Amino acid sequence: MVAVKKTKKTHESINNRLALVMKSGKYTLGYKTVLRTLRTSKAKLIIISNNYPPLRKSEIEYYAMLAKVGVHHFNGNNVDLGTACGKYYRVSCLSIIDPGDSDIIKTLPGEQ
Amino acid sequence: MVKFLKPNKAVIVLQGRYAGRKAVIIRSFDEGTRDRPYGHCLVAGIAKYPKKVIRKDSAKKTAKKSRVKAFVKLVNYTHIMPTRYTLDVDLKDVVNLEALQSRDKKVTAAKEVKARLEERFKTGKNRWFFTKLRF
Repeated sequence: MVAVKKTKKTHESINNRLALVMKSGKYTLGYKTVLRTLRTSKAKLIIISNNYPPLRKSEIEYYAMLAKVGVHHFNGNNVDLGTACGKYYRVSCLSIIDPGDSDIIKTLPGEQ
Repeated sequence: MVKFLKPNKAVIVLQGRYAGRKAVIIRSFDEGTRDRPYGHCLVAGIAKYPKKVIRKDSAKKTAKKSRVKAFVKLVNYTHIMPTRYTLDVDLKDVVNLEALQSRDKKVTAAKEVKARLEERFKTGKNRWFFTKLRF
């Protein structure tokens, strides 16, 4: 599956939507909690940075396939994803539990 | 958003003495219990896989090669890897929490699981479950 070259516009809109989720919704950051939310079927969307170790990335994708949850591969590394979340640390994977006011769940999984 | 750690799901045990073995979830405790305040499940799995049976084998050899050693265990969710496979064996009556209370009860439960898994292996179904995971 060749990934479509993401334009700058959609990338910014993902960042905006992510910022809105950080402000108004519920999320967890990090591999262990992402797996936990997948197991308890609380996750609605998983976002993974592009420099994630491939074995672990496949593991999260497999869990998400079992749980029927969308996975979005963020167009940036963990430093960028951390910045997009408004954090001052690196974030490699995050799980959105409750999107709040954002429409990230409706717009993103269609692309994936 | 779909719960997948349900009874009859085939999983792979990742940690402990039975690491790398395939097992099937009999009963899941998502919320945990007082003794185990974390999500865990009761699994029954294969401790010793049946060996490869070829056409040349005599009946005695086939019987010896098709033996299975089973185990019964309570495992944390973080120590298992779920798979997309399921295994429909009715083990709920024989494998329950009180079977884990004492050593004898555990042994009898494991023997019963062994018998049921062996007959399932002989029918030739669920072949993935009875093949050893190579790693």
